[in-house]
Amino acid sequence: MGDDIASSGMTLPVVSDPTRRAFGLRRVGSFLRGSEESVWRWSARVASLIPLVGLVFVLTVLAIKAWPAIRVNGPGFLTRSAWSPGSTYGAPVRTDGVLHPVGSSYGAWPLIAGTLQTSAIALIVALPISLGTAFALTERLPRWLARPISFFVEILAGIPSVIIGLWGVLTLGPFLADHVYPFISNNMPNVPVLRYFKGNVGYGEGLLTSGLVLGLMIVPIIASTARDLFLQVPPLPKEGAEALGMTEAEVARRVTIPWVRSGLIGATVLGLGRALGETIAVAMITGSILGKVAPNVYGTMTTIAATIVSQLDSAATDGTGFAISTLAEAGLVLAVISVVVNVLARVIVNRTSQHLAPVGRG
Amino acid sequence: MRNLLRSLTALALVSSGLIVALSLPASASSKVTTCFRLEKNVVHVKKFHGACGGGWLRKRPTPAPVADDAVETPGSASLTETGSTLLYPLWNIWAPAYQSEFSQVSVTTGGTGSGTGIADAASGTVDIGSSDAYLSSTQLTSTPNLLNIPLAISYQIIEYNIPGVTTHLKLNGTILSSIYQGKIVNWNDPAIAAVNPGVTLPNLKIVALHRSDGSGDTFIFSQYLADSDPTWASKYAYGTTISWPTITNELGENGNGGMVSGCQATVGCIAYVGISYLNSVLSDGDTYAQLENGNGQYEMPTSTTVAAEAAGFTAKTPASGTISMIDGKINGGYPIVNYEYAIVNKSQASTTTAKAIRSLLEWAIDPSYGQSAQYLGQVRFEPLPVKIVTQSYKQIKSIQ
Amino acid sequence: MATVTNSYPSTRSRRVREHFFRGLSLVALIFVIGPSLWLIADVVIRAVPHWQWSVLTTVPVGVGGGLENAILGTLVIMVGVLIIAGTIGVLTGIHFAELQQPRRNGKAGGNFLRMATDVMAGFPSIVLGYVGYVALCVGLHWGFSLLPALIVLSIMVTPYISKSTESALRQVPTNYREGAEALGMSTGYALRKVVIKSALPGIVTGLLIALAIAVGETAPLLYTAGITNNLPSMSLIHQPIAYLTYYVWTDYNQPIKATQYLSFDAALILIVLVLVLLVSSRLLVNRTQRYAEGRR
Repeated sequence: MGDDIASSGMTLPVVSDPTRRAFGLRRVGSFLRGSEESVWRWSARVASLIPLVGLVFVLTVLAIKAWPAIRVNGPGFLTRSAWSPGSTYGAPVRTDGVLHPVGSSYGAWPLIAGTLQTSAIALIVALPISLGTAFALTERLPRWLARPISFFVEILAGIPSVIIGLWGVLTLGPFLADHVYPFISNNMPNVPVLRYFKGNVGYGEGLLTSGLVLGLMIVPIIASTARDLFLQVPPLPKEGAEALGMTEAEVARRVTIPWVRSGLIGATVLGLGRALGETIAVAMITGSILGKVAPNVYGTMTTIAATIVSQLDSAATDGTGFAISTLAEAGLVLAVISVVVNVLARVIVNRTSQHLAPVGRG
Repeated sequence: MRNLLRSLTALALVSSGLIVALSLPASASSKVTTCFRLEKNVVHVKKFHGACGGGWLRKRPTPAPVADDAVETPGSASLTETGSTLLYPLWNIWAPAYQSEFSQVSVTTGGTGSGTGIADAASGTVDIGSSDAYLSSTQLTSTPNLLNIPLAISYQIIEYNIPGVTTHLKLNGTILSSIYQGKIVNWNDPAIAAVNPGVTLPNLKIVALHRSDGSGDTFIFSQYLADSDPTWASKYAYGTTISWPTITNELGENGNGGMVSGCQATVGCIAYVGISYLNSVLSDGDTYAQLENGNGQYEMPTSTTVAAEAAGFTAKTPASGTISMIDGKINGGYPIVNYEYAIVNKSQASTTTAKAIRSLLEWAIDPSYGQSAQYLGQVRFEPLPVKIVTQSYKQIKSIQ
Repeated sequence: MATVTNSYPSTRSRRVREHFFRGLSLVALIFVIGPSLWLIADVVIRAVPHWQWSVLTTVPVGVGGGLENAILGTLVIMVGVLIIAGTIGVLTGIHFAELQQPRRNGKAGGNFLRMATDVMAGFPSIVLGYVGYVALCVGLHWGFSLLPALIVLSIMVTPYISKSTESALRQVPTNYREGAEALGMSTGYALRKVVIKSALPGIVTGLLIALAIAVGETAPLLYTAGITNNLPSMSLIHQPIAYLTYYVWTDYNQPIKATQYLSFDAALILIVLVLVLLVSSRLLVNRTQRYAEGRR
């Protein structure tokens, strides 16, 4: 019996006929299960390529559309200030083989400055508030209060940005311009840096209001992640620090935050990315002034994203297509900034997380 | 877990069922009846609760056909219109009136700025683009089949928000150009006082509002400035989008609506606004200016002055409708007057859409229908002269 | 947090810093809750006095009317994004969590693909809208319609879904997978019957949050979906579709009051919709934490 099995080279079970038929079905079943696995594998593999395909598609379309404008606008695009479509009703001219209206000269420096300024204000405002909120939620508040409030903070993340812009331009802006800004402007000393806070207060639409509203929008992102991170810090190091006599503030500063530093940096950069790309709320609150950087912190200006959303329609009236090309160039600048920031964040997170070995996960 | 998902699905189904159930009766029955009356060959429309009042009929009467126009009956179609915010209030009056006669056509209107109207009509993403500005030669070269068809005569006012000043200030193109270039920054500037003797102007900073979107109002305003001030003409020219000089006190607004509400919120503002928004301007407590025309006269924007200006250009209007009626040397004419254009592609993809577009536009320019005072009067536009009606009708017939 | 000893800081500066820190964290909380409540209250105050239930059942007519076209359009867009981005995102998450072949040095593979997905997560939405407009609406002559809108929104939202799916799958204890393999289940079968089932609440939560993001987007839809007064038609191209955020963006500063009220009504409906989505996702999370046996 054993020789038969060995010589046939196949493992034949010692079974009866019905079971042999069932075994045949099991072979089909196992084939199907094997193919189910490959269906999963292949469909998942294809699906995971789609975001990459999307990214490549977007960047390619941008580059193709922007190329004529890049040729004519040159590197001065990043440093010039005037945004001039030229004489769209006059005869077009040709530069470097590209057709464009006479007198058209585009400069994106105020747009870039506006984007960086609003994002900077947003980060400066959001970071302390988010960290403070996360600490309050994890350490100061009792559990029954902390859970609904942290849920509320997450809801804030989901409120559409157009509604936040609506509130910013109709309610918050006028309120700040009437009650808060004059106070700040009148009481600021006339020194070089703080001089930026003096001067014409405007009517609420401008740089500072947009920065504040943008900060409010990114607080939930940073605060929720920070809260989750703080909850993951094991109690051992914290209790040890407190046993050594450290106050809560010192525990926070010397134990908790260094522990989760890479995660915090990642969350901050996520918020920064949101702030850089925010379009609608900023378009409603900045006052949409092309061509100059805000003269003081209350001044009207614009950002790259706000410019694209408000100028795209009218850019299409330029029969030469040059205005649309320039908007693609501006969009490309914004996309490059966003991609660079994201990649930098991943690099920082990867690098710093290698230095931190979690000890004794509780 | 499964129960939760089940209950969520049930909730979603029930709520969508509720929405459908609620919408059905609302669209089916309505206690309000639309009644018609024929008066001086114009069909008047009025809504009554229940039966029609005296003299009004349930059935829509057909006016005697006008010599230069005949409204076609289209098949069922769905049209989209977008563009000029100056024409938008009139479209919102025209569309329901047209649909009460031709209910098989649904019309969606939008107020996105003349620049968008031209662009979307050129790219085919919209059926009818509205614009206060005619097409440029570059646009005609890149999209040769585009037509600009005059639909009505409109005009622009310069409004301002100066507390304590309720008179109609006299302003001219040179002063306006200096304001928008930042050369005049205060309302009590000697240049403004010189043309307005006897008016006490306060010490108030001028905030100059301009359109941030592609705007036909920017087009006609900048044409007025370019005509009056050679410096402006050489530096900034005119167009639906121009490079506004960067001055200390300025604001960009979206649409005519944004200009009006922005000026109401900004003390010391000056803004160029289309006439269809006059009611909102007045109800905000703001007022508007008299402008100097090509003959040096200061004219108020009234039906008489606008009609005079338009009449002066009627003979010169070419068959394509492309003409600027800004700052003409016409006695008693208001200087900022323009045709409202429908930007349409001559060759349409489907004959049904083409017929529906033709029908809508013919209805709009017909003196018995769209050009009647019951519609135009609500936005204070002027009707097209007969010669222009004929020219527009010819252009409309070429849409296939 | 329990204090081990009654450690009262000895120096004054440390005491001051401690009180400062405690006070500041509560103040920070107020600076988050206060404006959020103000924001929601502001929308409610602007919308409720002029609310009419006919807003839900009529389309825009003239300067006023209702928002039925926008509500149904938003729901249609939601379902479309759920189908397209949901499928792609969940499969991508499964790929990263389960099926990715590990690299030779033992670390998890697929860093490049993961980086691409992360980059798309923070991408500016208006740039996506621009690309959709020039490439799909004008370039391919689709015009303003549903399909370009769905494609653009899916590109934007898929990274969030894949991230949350991946983290939900990673939280399924390894015991489950080992047990499944010990029982002789193939990978696909184990995925279907064991792993995904236990990660399902996390996956659904991610989907709901992504839907909330898609519903609140304006900029990409402005240039891909267009606008129409009609109820959504079933055609994917050549027919524009309405959505709620359009009315908030366009009508908020109109001088005619009836149009302004449309804007506030749309804002109110949007907030309610987003709240429903987010509350459902939170209920799901709570439900699973009650039944979960393993800890993080």
